[in-house]
Amino acid sequence: MHLCVIGLDCVPPELAFEQMAMPNLRALMQRGSYGRLESVVPPVTVPAWACLATGRDPGALGIYGFRNRTDYSYEGLTLATSHSVREPAIWDRLGAAGVRVIVVGVPPGYPPRPVHGVQVSCFLTPSASSPYAYPAALRGELEARFGEYLFDVSDFRTTDKPGLLRRIYAVTEQKFAIVRYLMTNHPWEFLMFVDMGPDRLHHGFWRYHDPAHIKHPAPNPFPQVFPEYYAFLDRQIGSVLDLLADDVAVLVVSDHGARRMDGAICVNEWLRREGFLVLREEPREVRPLEPSMVDWTRTAAWGEGGYYSRITLNVRGREPQGILDPAGVERVRGELIQGLEALGDETGRPIGTRVYRPEELYSDARGVPPDLLAIFGDLYWRSAGSVGGGAVWARENDTGPDDANHAPFGIFVAAGLALPPGEVPGLRLLDIAPLIARHFGLDVEA
Amino acid sequence: MWFTGLPSSGKSTLAGLLGSALAARALPVEVLDGDEVRAVLNQGLGFSREDRDENIRRIAWVAKVLTHHGVIAITAAISPYRQARERARETIGRFVEVYVDCPVEVCMARDIKGLYARARRGEIAQFTGVSDPYEPPAQPEITVHTDRETPQESLRHILQHLETQGWLQVAMDAVLVPHYLTEQLRHRWGGEFERRLVEILAGYVHPEEDALPPAEQEQVLARLRALGYVD
Repeated sequence: MHLCVIGLDCVPPELAFEQMAMPNLRALMQRGSYGRLESVVPPVTVPAWACLATGRDPGALGIYGFRNRTDYSYEGLTLATSHSVREPAIWDRLGAAGVRVIVVGVPPGYPPRPVHGVQVSCFLTPSASSPYAYPAALRGELEARFGEYLFDVSDFRTTDKPGLLRRIYAVTEQKFAIVRYLMTNHPWEFLMFVDMGPDRLHHGFWRYHDPAHIKHPAPNPFPQVFPEYYAFLDRQIGSVLDLLADDVAVLVVSDHGARRMDGAICVNEWLRREGFLVLREEPREVRPLEPSMVDWTRTAAWGEGGYYSRITLNVRGREPQGILDPAGVERVRGELIQGLEALGDETGRPIGTRVYRPEELYSDARGVPPDLLAIFGDLYWRSAGSVGGGAVWARENDTGPDDANHAPFGIFVAAGLALPPGEVPGLRLLDIAPLIARHFGLDVEA
Repeated sequence: MWFTGLPSSGKSTLAGLLGSALAARALPVEVLDGDEVRAVLNQGLGFSREDRDENIRRIAWVAKVLTHHGVIAITAAISPYRQARERARETIGRFVEVYVDCPVEVCMARDIKGLYARARRGEIAQFTGVSDPYEPPAQPEITVHTDRETPQESLRHILQHLETQGWLQVAMDAVLVPHYLTEQLRHRWGGEFERRLVEILAGYVHPEEDALPPAEQEQVLARLRALGYVD
């Protein structure tokens, strides 16, 4: 019994199923099942893949983003690593049952953890000289054949778009080459890998693909960049499928979708404007918010930037210089939800922001959850955490050009798994780990 | 591993911690602590420049013999004179000098053995840092600052240097075993669990650590900022 899971970060159903020519994927859809895959909230790479691999939601994992609070201090933000995932991943459970696994590039995969098989870490690897493989000797084995491990696209914030595109292709090409090598040279029954190439393409080039993007250029210097990359990606998928015996089950999944980015809500500027956040002095330039810049004795809330925002309250007895009476927390949360959801674009036009309390989303909220999670403008808007300048709206990302944001639905295409044929509605990312467990005869609830 | 620094700067503490850390990686290691060596190997030697040099010469010779047989020798003597340390470096060959940097006022305030107080009262002649000079290394392989680092931070710094310079194999000898896995193994192996685990994993089991080292965190964060994941 074998299963090959091909992870494509950020691939949305509109592109994979409708707009892009992907003959290998189409053939797989025709012989199996496919559909939209509902991601988690937030639909962000690290929590999403961790949830897919464990079948647990961000609250159960205590992973709400790339960085998570480790305590109630103002500084205590720690990067999510493989150690942050306290629940067993599907490959851990399979390995414990004697199934040999190959795991490549699944976030958060650094440091690589011991598995019953081999594992190569993900784009969160600090550098190419980091110990990114398990067992350690695998690193030399790979480098002898593929050179330096391209764990991610380097120099992403560049105006040299042709150079960026070449590096995106290189990352995808090497990832699939490594997988083809491992699957033919190491024993396995379960193989899973994630390619970050599509995500980097979307964030770097969406404006050239989407005429509705506010920065869609005319004339368009890259009109074919999406069709060509997706055709290339499809050939890479085909090259892996070609190596599989007929009885090997296949699952192609993405962790979330993608859509154009219309702009950014500067969450901390809004909190300042509304009197929730007070700085010691006006920043001279736009810069990231640092704890040392905040007058904590007059601050009730602050937020983080990223594809969505996490908002934290400064609660007396909880935060070091908390000012909010714990009894008043719910009232303040209500005010923030009302204010942010009513906030439209610069012209006041509604944009459809949703702000969640963690307990609405998760039955359990482990670790130190944010007090609120804000999804701006149905994800057509991102969150900018920077302060300075005073504007609540930004049409440029505060960390440089970015074209796309994430969307709540990714894809799945499956063949050989226990799913009805054809289009299957309603599948969630959290259903994937149980689906795989069932395929191998494991107790789903174990 | 040649620790050098003022009295009470933290040499013995760090040498002991490093010895334990290397032993936990199943490496053969011997700590030659300054006070112990003086009591056993170098009994009768005083604190004149000649006697101090002879003390270092003997320690270096023992370290060389240990090194020759594949044992990591860790020395923790004040070794105040640069020239004597350079001779030790030549004698031993595979040599990593660790400068335990700590202001003399801090060492005096610690004064673990009460020696500074005695030196100030004139009870000890030629006491390093008070009445005899300490010559800091010009180019030590590693410098730790024990006045502003915890012993664990200094140890991490030393281990990182040894790993990045190729003296120690990196990381995968420190295999991290998650709790659920040990639980599953316990379930499968039953009463044999302890014995089999010890057989297979002895020397390789380290506690899980959540956070990456700060330098690695910064490397990853810089890229995540560029990618727009965090700002």
